[in-house]
Amino acid sequence: MSQPIELIRNFCIIAHVDHGKSTLADRILLATGAISEREFREQFLDDLELERQRGITIKARAVTLHWDYQGQRYELNLIDTPGHVDFHYEVSRSLACCEGALLLVDAFQGVEAQTVANTYAALEQDLTIIPVINKIDLKHARVEEVLQEVEQSLGLDPSEAILCSAKTGQGVSEVLQAVVERIPPPQGDPQAALQAMIFDSHYDTYRGAITYVRVVNGRIRRRQRVRLLKAGTVHEVQELGCFTPAPTPKEELHAGQVGYLICNIKSLSEVHIGDTVSTADAGPELALPGYQPPKRMVYCGLYPADGEDYQELRDALERLSINDPSFEFVPETSDALGFGFRCGFLGLLHMEIIQQRLEQEAQLDLVQTAPTVTYEVLTRDGRVHRITNPQQMPDPGQIQEVRQPMVRVSFVLPAEYIGPIMKLCTQRRGRFVRTEYLSPTRAIVVVDMPLAEVIYDLYDRLKSITHGYGTMDYELLGYEPADLVKLDILVGGKRVDALSVICHREDAYRRGKAIVGKLKQEIDRHLFDVVIQAAIGSRVIARETIPAIRKNVTAKCYGGDITRKRKLWAKQREGKKRMKSIGQVDIPQRAFLAVLDAGAQKRK
Amino acid sequence: MSRLAPSNPCQDRTFGAQGAVVPQEPLPLAQGRADALYVHVPFCDHRCGYCNFAVWVGSKELEPALNRAWEQEARWTLPGRLTTVYFGGGTPSRLSLPAMERLLKLVHQHFDLVPECEWTVEANPQDVTPQWLELLREHGVTRISLGAQSFLPQKLQALDRRHQVEHIWRAVELVQQAGLVLSLDLIFAAPGESLAQWVQDLHCAIRTGAEHFSVYGLTIERGTRFWSLRRRGLLQEVPEELQAQMYETTLDHLAQAGWQHYEVSNFARPGFQCQHNLKYWHAKDYHAWGPGAARHYQGIRQTNHPSTTTYLKRVLGGRSPVWHSERLSWETRRREALVLGLRTTAGVHPEEFAARWGATPQELAPQALENFLRQGLLTWHQGRLRLTRRGLLVSDSIWGELLDEEG
Ligand SMILES: Nc1nc2c(ncn2[C@@H]2O[C@H](COP(=O)(O)OP(=O)(O)O)[C@@H](O)[C@H]2O)c(=O)[nH]1
Ligand code: SF4
Ligand SMILES: [Mg+2]
Repeated sequence: MSQPIELIRNFCIIAHVDHGKSTLADRILLATGAISEREFREQFLDDLELERQRGITIKARAVTLHWDYQGQRYELNLIDTPGHVDFHYEVSRSLACCEGALLLVDAFQGVEAQTVANTYAALEQDLTIIPVINKIDLKHARVEEVLQEVEQSLGLDPSEAILCSAKTGQGVSEVLQAVVERIPPPQGDPQAALQAMIFDSHYDTYRGAITYVRVVNGRIRRRQRVRLLKAGTVHEVQELGCFTPAPTPKEELHAGQVGYLICNIKSLSEVHIGDTVSTADAGPELALPGYQPPKRMVYCGLYPADGEDYQELRDALERLSINDPSFEFVPETSDALGFGFRCGFLGLLHMEIIQQRLEQEAQLDLVQTAPTVTYEVLTRDGRVHRITNPQQMPDPGQIQEVRQPMVRVSFVLPAEYIGPIMKLCTQRRGRFVRTEYLSPTRAIVVVDMPLAEVIYDLYDRLKSITHGYGTMDYELLGYEPADLVKLDILVGGKRVDALSVICHREDAYRRGKAIVGKLKQEIDRHLFDVVIQAAIGSRVIARETIPAIRKNVTAKCYGGDITRKRKLWAKQREGKKRMKSIGQVDIPQRAFLAVLDAGAQKRK
Repeated sequence: MSRLAPSNPCQDRTFGAQGAVVPQEPLPLAQGRADALYVHVPFCDHRCGYCNFAVWVGSKELEPALNRAWEQEARWTLPGRLTTVYFGGGTPSRLSLPAMERLLKLVHQHFDLVPECEWTVEANPQDVTPQWLELLREHGVTRISLGAQSFLPQKLQALDRRHQVEHIWRAVELVQQAGLVLSLDLIFAAPGESLAQWVQDLHCAIRTGAEHFSVYGLTIERGTRFWSLRRRGLLQEVPEELQAQMYETTLDHLAQAGWQHYEVSNFARPGFQCQHNLKYWHAKDYHAWGPGAARHYQGIRQTNHPSTTTYLKRVLGGRSPVWHSERLSWETRRREALVLGLRTTAGVHPEEFAARWGATPQELAPQALENFLRQGLLTWHQGRLRLTRRGLLVSDSIWGELLDEEG
């Protein structure tokens, strides 16, 4: 009764955020009878509240559907890929499980940065791409122009595009038809040695790790003993099956199929995305290509606003990392902020997601230090150090070379903003790569630049320059040497460790001035002058003074005033207690974000 | 105790409850002994733009009710000997002569006044008449506190005051003729005021020869008209540096002219310090009647409801007018005593303080005192701890540390 391999189709939907991926996926589930009308009304594939709020899909999921077409019963495996660049590697593993992709483009918005990035990623995996223009029901749909953009920017044949509305259901059966007719069936030998790729996992409190796999060769059965080649661990398969979308246990999965395994694995840290599942006696030669350990590119310090919440923060971080092994944390101490954690993320969005979950799920008030990228420092003794915190920067005298991560950024924007964006990129040490026109009015600008500049404020600047019409995406290029320095901030003559940043020597003056200026606004006046300085080593490059309070005296304090005044004074003192004291200077917690704000707001 | 039983408030038609009132147990006011009495008279002819006191603007129809309410509060107050009495407001001089007489008599009926009792009544300059002064003098009032505010016409206008400069001079003369001690209230840092103007104003005040001055920097408090004007950008506060200079000028000029600075905002010719107000700063006990008035007995502080009508309804209905009540812990009491004591220029004598409060200031707040001494905000002077001039100017930033110090 096993499914003939030629009747299997593995595919995914790739799209820019909000172009309708989830809605189309739900439509497909409805059209194949996997969910009811009522269930359709709730977005099915994004189950996290946070994801729904942000309209992005963070966790890849796979659903197995059955569709009868021309007398045959097809098995369709729809693999939901994360859309964002932070999860680039996860996206590539999900794509590697598919033979084809539906490229979904909003009929009004047209091609956007993630559309381009995701299409390239799919082409890299040799997938068959079916362009789908969605939301044609919109009054302002501009189908012709969008088709032209698809052709211009992605080199796809517009005559192959399917027009649909995920909202009304129009064109959905054409989409399914194209999946069956155009996407090739998987290849693979059910008789060969077992090779299955892990493309996702999640943690279930009762069952432990749920591992999503695509069987490439061979077959996998219940009760079989399997080896995770990278992890080197052996487990017994307790349950396997597929999601339809409810988990449906099966006896076996064979080459070409997609499903889940439950093996009594207690921690997700043993389940590596991209790892290969094989037989218990398999050797390393069976490992599928493409595995990479998670690359944490962005780091920041997270501290409890109230030091008493340290243990709680630690528990919360632990809970999160169980479900997301790509997020990492280690204890760290700061003179200014006390005990906290250094946390590593795949990217900025990943950082924000984790932070938001912490605040929502654990209800913790957090102080976050400015995010920093991971640097490589070559010291004179020939060793290379990975620096994830400005504090770790060796003495300038010992440094041979500092290298920073570079990314290739693609902006998609209305053509009139090309000039301003190029100017911005030049300021941010960008190297122009190319400009392409999608249409007479829209263009793609590709620029290589330091990741540090991207995480600093690039996204916000893009949004403000293009009045919200520009989008961007980036991919990692590698490390390059650069003239980088550690910029220290001194308050009242004392170095505030949590405020140090690493930046380009030429930017140090601008950054230093901005941070010092921002701190001047954030720190209250004291009974003495407070001097704020930015320095490289011992050389001060920017300085501000917060003048001492000159007059603060209550004129009237008679019988009726005393209670009120006393409460007022005590309250002021309470407010101060919540601040961090450096020497005699009280620094409010939001000042620690001054380093961020000096550039712009956090990425939204 | 029979004297303290609540009266039957049914006689009152405006505010009384219908039918008999069940005597309340415990009494509607905290009970305690005190040798000071404050009476709040809420009437004003209009509300000044910077004022957030408990005032009643408008008709005097409430006078009889108010007289009855004070009488009711008196029944709820332990009698005893008084060494100071203070009628404040609002504007006590807005009371009609009969209503004032009834109040003066009430004080005498309920308390014994020592012969040298200091008795102050606040007045608006335009209200002061020979008959009024005569009535007060007859009943033992010794001191008039005149809401002069300024001797410059434009400034009076900027301050939203309704009286004229001539009213002040006439009132000064009448008070002095009546042989009463004179205190003047003055305000600096009115919107648009310059340092030169303030000096000029101050010299007019000095020329009156008043025995006492209370000098306040204008503060714009929440809930006043000035507050909303400022928020809308229609009123500019005097810059902090200029305010500081005005305050320092006040200290210098009055000292030079022979008035001793004895509390943050108060100045007196030798022997004319306000004994009543000193009781607040020495953390003593005091009775209080009237809307918004605050009484204090050994760490229990109660404030009456600030709304005149609510106050009247409650008191005349036999119910407690108390709006806020607190029982201070010993720790809070002695820290508050330290702060209030340091507001006086005499400062605090550590042994005297310890004799009353069980600890010296150094023991109460060692770290804060050490910091402030080192920063030159506090100093030791003839064995007493007191603010330096710089400390005085920023004293509100000091008190919080003394009120609450960890270790
Ligand atoms: N008018 C219209 N709206 C759609 C269509 N498809 C999706 N949407 C809406 O577009 C928004 C984003 O859709 P969603 O499926 O969450 O996009 P995703 O971010 O790609 O998963 C939602 O408000 C959908 O209701 C469509 O065909 N027509
Ligand atoms: S006269 Fe005094 S109490 Fe009356 S409104 Fe003016 S400032 Fe307030
Ligand atoms: Mg979605």
